[in-house]
Amino acid sequence: MATDLQTQLIHDLVEESVEGLDQFDSEVLALEKGESGPDTLNTMFRVIHSLKGTSGCLGLGRIESLAHVGENLLSLLREGKVEAQPRTTSTLLRYSDALRAMLHSLGLDGKEGEHDHAQLVADLTALSNLGENPQGQAEAAGLFEDLPEDLPAPTPAAPVSAAVVPPAPAAPVGPANPPARAQEKAAVVSGGIAETAIRVDVGQLDSLMDLVGELVLARNQILQFAGRLAEPTLLNATQRLNIITTKLQENVMKTRMQPISNVWSKFPRIVRDLSRELGKRVNLVMEGRETELDRTIIEAVKDPLTHLVRNAIDHGLETPGVRSAAGKPEEGLLRLRAFHESGHVNIEILDDGSGISRDRVVQKAIQKGLLHADQASRLADREVYALLFAPGFSTAEKVTNISGRGVGLDVVKKNIEKIGGSVDIQSDPGRSTTIRVKIPLTLAIIPALIINCAGSRYATPQASLVELVLIENGQAARAIEYVDTSPVYRLRGSLLPLLSLREQLELERAAESQEAVYLLVLQAEGKQFGLMVDGIHDTEEIVVKPLGKELNGLSVFAGATIMGDGRVALILDVLGVARRACVLDHAGRDEAAKGIAEIRNSDNREGGTRQSLLLFAIGGDQPAAIPLSHVARLEEFAASAVEKAANAEVVQYRGQIMPLLHVGRVLARESSSADETVRVVVYNHRGVNIGLVVDRVLDTVDGVFSIQRCMDRPGVLGSGVVQHRVTDFLDPDALIRASGVIEFAGAGERL
Amino acid sequence: MPKTILTVDDAATMRKLIVFTLKGAGYEVLEAADGVAGLQVLSTRAADLIITDINMPQMGGIELTRNVRQMPQHRTTPILVITTESEPDVKARAKAVGATGWIVKPFQPAQLVDIVKRVLKA
Amino acid sequence: MSQPKQFCTFYLGAALFGVEVTRVQEVIRYQEMTEVPLAPAVVRGLINLRGSIVSCIDLRRRFGMGPAPEGVLASNVVTQTAGGLVSLQVDRIGDVVEVTEESQEAPPDTLRGAARKLIGHVYKLNGSLLRSLNVEGVLDFESSTRGSSPQN
Repeated sequence: MATDLQTQLIHDLVEESVEGLDQFDSEVLALEKGESGPDTLNTMFRVIHSLKGTSGCLGLGRIESLAHVGENLLSLLREGKVEAQPRTTSTLLRYSDALRAMLHSLGLDGKEGEHDHAQLVADLTALSNLGENPQGQAEAAGLFEDLPEDLPAPTPAAPVSAAVVPPAPAAPVGPANPPARAQEKAAVVSGGIAETAIRVDVGQLDSLMDLVGELVLARNQILQFAGRLAEPTLLNATQRLNIITTKLQENVMKTRMQPISNVWSKFPRIVRDLSRELGKRVNLVMEGRETELDRTIIEAVKDPLTHLVRNAIDHGLETPGVRSAAGKPEEGLLRLRAFHESGHVNIEILDDGSGISRDRVVQKAIQKGLLHADQASRLADREVYALLFAPGFSTAEKVTNISGRGVGLDVVKKNIEKIGGSVDIQSDPGRSTTIRVKIPLTLAIIPALIINCAGSRYATPQASLVELVLIENGQAARAIEYVDTSPVYRLRGSLLPLLSLREQLELERAAESQEAVYLLVLQAEGKQFGLMVDGIHDTEEIVVKPLGKELNGLSVFAGATIMGDGRVALILDVLGVARRACVLDHAGRDEAAKGIAEIRNSDNREGGTRQSLLLFAIGGDQPAAIPLSHVARLEEFAASAVEKAANAEVVQYRGQIMPLLHVGRVLARESSSADETVRVVVYNHRGVNIGLVVDRVLDTVDGVFSIQRCMDRPGVLGSGVVQHRVTDFLDPDALIRASGVIEFAGAGERL
Repeated sequence: MPKTILTVDDAATMRKLIVFTLKGAGYEVLEAADGVAGLQVLSTRAADLIITDINMPQMGGIELTRNVRQMPQHRTTPILVITTESEPDVKARAKAVGATGWIVKPFQPAQLVDIVKRVLKA
Repeated sequence: MSQPKQFCTFYLGAALFGVEVTRVQEVIRYQEMTEVPLAPAVVRGLINLRGSIVSCIDLRRRFGMGPAPEGVLASNVVTQTAGGLVSLQVDRIGDVVEVTEESQEAPPDTLRGAARKLIGHVYKLNGSLLRSLNVEGVLDFESSTRGSSPQN
């Protein structure tokens, strides 16, 4: 055989077999966890069987004979002739590693390597419980004596499945070896649907993408002018152009995208091995495997992510003993989550381990001269954690070999920034650490809502937009309420923090005579907020172009685009806007805590249902919570507006008498509010408004909460943990009944 | 008029090897990665010989053989199955569903060409 | 014999500056710009250059000079930089000038601290001084923190 072909075939064999071994590992892990299905052993057998056959044909005797040993064992296992034993899976994983090592050598220099597998072979043979299986001396090839006509009538066979189903999981074009050579190899099936994969130079795909981007811009312009001209033939042609461009764009983008599972598929094995090595128990949860990333980015992000995962297990998660002493389940949680947001791919790595102590980081930073003692207190948590990425920084007590040099986060950050991404850490000390990697899509063409603010247009990615609300002029004053000094809007019972885009961008104030205000309900990090803008145009497909380095510091903009009329419009980065306005301060922790709670609870549902709660403070900050469902409004009254009627305090509210109930008094707590203002939660008790007097409204919160019941106080259901604080859960109806204020309600005529 | 051979195997490298070997011997070769794909090919193209692996996802070689024998134009088309000595009963099963012959892997390219010639002359 | 260099020259006020011709992609008249809120004042806005979005840097501002006098319609020198294209807004475009190494001088001591970073070599021409612009230095300004740090 020509050596060129031999080399090519060996290369293909290596690639194919490594993929097969990944699958093999997956199945072994499933087997180990007891999650194996009917196909598990079959798949494992097939992988090794394939490897053996192909390597044999290519003259790779050592791989072939090692494969042969494993194939024996697997054949016996899948036929049920031999039982899997506790050490079977570990041995099989060692086996997989041994094969990989040989393949690796093969890939490097075309030779199978000098590895010694005597021990491994002995172990595998022992598990097979049979002696060395002698190679049969069967005839190499032959014909059956009978001719086909002599066979019995064909039995009604299983229906031929005409479904066009791609054979094995459609093998993606393997990770581009950066920088790819312009090799084109075609393995095309003529006339049939089968594995079809070709290699294309990545540079070619790049220019294809650029051209498509330009085409989209040109199409946008044409669409716009065609609309104005209103000429039927032109409009028709434009419609077709529109459809074709969209399809082209989709197809081209697809060629470059790969699911992140390509990177993640190796993690279960890594996590298993590492956790065993360190004596820790780890539950790995991976969400969003199908999230797609550009091919080149996948390559760049593989190592940083692996490093972060190993870090989380090494430094984040504690050993079972430490965990149960801290009241946590012995098994630690490591959750990977990938999703698209704002034209970026977000990858979150959450562990419910010991978190990161802000003080220790600060101390270390001061020690290393990265920080002055007096600066420390002025830094927000996020900024403190960002110090971990500084070169040479390490809070690990000892340098471990596992993740190399203790942390090495500076390298991780550098590699992620090289591809235009960003990484940050949030931590809830003692509870969790969340690392967020954000990577821009190389060429993003996204649908966006074009809005108007102070005379300029901005684009808001559709992906972050939950809904639109129009507040007409007269209603603005009433529609917007205030919690402390922050404006909020009540959207179907939830309080939405409000931001004004004009304010956020520090543009000139709106004229008083503004007609209407549009509210964009936006979502970032799982939390919603409202953004007020002046006007709304259409939703368009826009090409996201990055801003130059000189505008790097602007977290509020995700990029810019060219509108149909040729002018440049900035694209809002919803998360950046929210963070800058501190609208999400607790969101990060909430999300982490929620995520952890959800996963822990999913195995042992206590029958907790989701609740929406209104949190408020009475007396010295102790929070209390009531269900949001019957809360009508939040109001404030001057102390002077409160009138006395018999033994109750009432206030005139919307033409009626509303009795006031001092929650603090009922709970026998001192109210710390000596204000001129009385803060009242207007609660609808069976159709009657009752005003619950509180010191401060804190927040609204959504979630599943477990309550420790207490029976001795009327109106108090019990206590639970909300936003990490022990909170009293109140039953307002019971409180109201117990207090007797109801008699004074609604009596407009009496007074 | 060169004969057409359909090779069915889920290992791409193996297929390539067979394709190269048989093309070199003057045959036209079609490929498919498993039984389902193989049937798909046969529904639109004619083949004078089918060589199929046994262990494949979706539909393996034995089932493929059985299904091919159902097709009127392929009642007598030669079918060779690729077996390994670790599965001794495969030959019997293949024979039972109407396969014409077998070849054991790993095989030498020359052995493949040999059995193909024998089968196509018969 | 020293290699002559060619500069694309322009004026900021009465002062003559230049960028090496090899780095200049084109020179354009006043362009409609989109302002970028929260950006450093030195960034005047973004322009659409045949489908590319290019930042426009106000050189007068960068040098700490006041605004241009009435009636001066700026021009833009579109320049290559390490990070991509950038458009430098200037008062008026001059000629393409060739200089030799002999005419090269060190920047005068009278040049103020900040401006030193912005200027490379200086060349003596007939009766005037050509200041070679250090483009990378021009772009090395403090990205304002207005655009990112929390506001409370």
